[in-house]
Amino acid sequence: MSAATASPAATLGTSVVRQLGLLIQWQFRRGAQMFPLLAVVQTLLAATTVFGYGLLVGDPPPDAALFLATGAATVNLIMVGLVLTPQGVAQAKTEGSLAWMRTLPVPRWTFLASDLVVYALVALPGSVLGLVVGTWRFGVTLSLSPWLALAAPLVAVIATAVGYSIALLLRPQLAMLVSQVIVFVVLLFSPISIPTQRLPQWLATAHEWLPIAPMADLMRASLVSDVFSMGTRPALVLAAWTVLALAGANRALSRRT
Amino acid sequence: MTPEVLVVSGLSKRFGSGPGAVQANDAIDLSVSAGQVVCLLGHNGAGKSTLVGQVVGLTVPDAGTVLLGGIDAVAHPAAARALASVQAQANVPITGLTPRTAIELVGRVRGLRKPAARTRADELLQALDLITWADKPAEKVSGGVARLTAFAMAAIAPGALVVLDEPTNDVDPVRRWLLWQEIRRIADDGKGVLLVTHNIHEAEHVVDQVVLLDEGRVVTHGTPAQFVASHPGDTLEDVYIHLVGHQDARGSATAAAA
Repeated sequence: MSAATASPAATLGTSVVRQLGLLIQWQFRRGAQMFPLLAVVQTLLAATTVFGYGLLVGDPPPDAALFLATGAATVNLIMVGLVLTPQGVAQAKTEGSLAWMRTLPVPRWTFLASDLVVYALVALPGSVLGLVVGTWRFGVTLSLSPWLALAAPLVAVIATAVGYSIALLLRPQLAMLVSQVIVFVVLLFSPISIPTQRLPQWLATAHEWLPIAPMADLMRASLVSDVFSMGTRPALVLAAWTVLALAGANRALSRRT
Repeated sequence: MTPEVLVVSGLSKRFGSGPGAVQANDAIDLSVSAGQVVCLLGHNGAGKSTLVGQVVGLTVPDAGTVLLGGIDAVAHPAAARALASVQAQANVPITGLTPRTAIELVGRVRGLRKPAARTRADELLQALDLITWADKPAEKVSGGVARLTAFAMAAIAPGALVVLDEPTNDVDPVRRWLLWQEIRRIADDGKGVLLVTHNIHEAEHVVDQVVLLDEGRVVTHGTPAQFVASHPGDTLEDVYIHLVGHQDARGSATAAAA
C-alpha cells in the first residue's frame, strides 16, 4: 500500500468551488442533528414575533401591520447571522476544530461562505413561515419584488459576516455574551418590527449608522415594494457595512496569532 | 542528497510582555528531510505546540524563517498549507459524520478525486483496524478510534510534510503498533514527518531524528542511537529522563538556593 498523494500543484489547482461544496457538506453533516431543532426554534421565533407583537398592539394600523408582518422574516435572517453564527464559531474555537480547519488548504473566505449557506438553509423555513403567518395574522398583502432574490441573501451575508467577525475577534465567552445581547437589541430595540419614530432619539440615531435598520428597510422594500422603498442613505450605509463586514470577517479568518 | 521538506531557522516566539512574558520558542533550528520521521521531544510547556503552530501557519514568529518545500511559510501561508497535513493535538469533533466520511471528505478537500479518496480511506481504515468502526456515527466511537480517525484525516492525502501532534493518545496497544507502521510508511513513501509525542518508548523504533526542546530551546538533537550512545541510559526514554530530569533538578536546586 502506498500513500495517496495530493501534490501541491494538484491541491492548489483543486477547484475552489469544489472545495466550497465539500466544506458545505462537512458543516451540514456536522450540524445535521441540530438543524431540525434549530429550524423549530427559528419557526417559534417567527411565530412569537408575529403573535407576541400582535398581542401588544392589538389591531395595528396598515403601516404598522406591514412592519410586523414583514419583521419576522427579517428577524430570522438577522438572528441566524448575528446570533447562531457567533455561537457556532465560538464553540468551534473552544473545541479546537476551527484551528484545525484553518490548516486545510482552502481559501479563508470559503469557511464564511460554507457557514453562510448552511445557516441560510436553517433560517429559510422560519423566515418563510414568519412571512406567511404574519400576512395572515395582520391581513396584509405582500408585493414581492424580484430584488428579494438578492436582498434576502445580502442580509444573510452581512449578518453572518458581522457574526463571524464578532466570534473571531472576541474571546468565546464574550462572543456568546454579545450574541445574547444582540437578541434583545434586535427583537426589542431595533426598527425591524417597530417604526423608528417610536424609538428613543439616541437609539434612532444609532440605528442610522448600524446595519440592522437598513437591512430591515431592504427586506421591506423587497417584500412590499408598492408601499416601501429603499432610501439612498440606508443603501449607502448598507453598502458600507457589506464591505466592512466581509473585509472584517476575511481579515479575522486570515489573522494569525 | 535527500531534499529537505522543512527548514526552520532561528525561530523565536514570545507571548505576552513584561515580567509575565513567556519565551515559547528561542532561536530554534531544525530540519525534516523527505523520508524522515523527526520527533520533537520535550515536557509540557517546552514549546513544541508553539513550534508546530508556526510551521503550519497558525502563528506568526517574532523572528526566524520557516521554509516548507522551499516556500517561505510565514510570508505565504496559503501556499504552505497545501504542503502540510496536520493532525492537531486536540481531536477534531466529527459529530454527525462517520470516521469513513470524515476521512474521505478531508481527502477530497486536499485534492483527491472521490474514487481515490474512497480507496485510500478504505486502505487506512483496514491498516489501522478501524473497519468495525468505519461506518458508526462519530458520537458512538471511543476516544482512541477518534484519535486514529484524526490521524487518517492527516494521512489520506499527505502533503510534503505531515505534522502529527500526539497521534497515539488514547489508542490501544495493538492499534498503536499499527499506527507506528503507518507513520513509518508515510515517511518511506517520501514524505517528511514531524512528530510530537510523549510516547518515547514506542517512537524510538520508528523515528530517524530526535530533537529535544526545553524552555523553548533545542537542547540537543541526533538519531536515537546517537542519543543513547552519548548519554547515560539504555533507551531513548532513559536519556530523555536523564536530560530533562537534570534540567528540572537544576531548576529545583536554583529555586531552593534562592
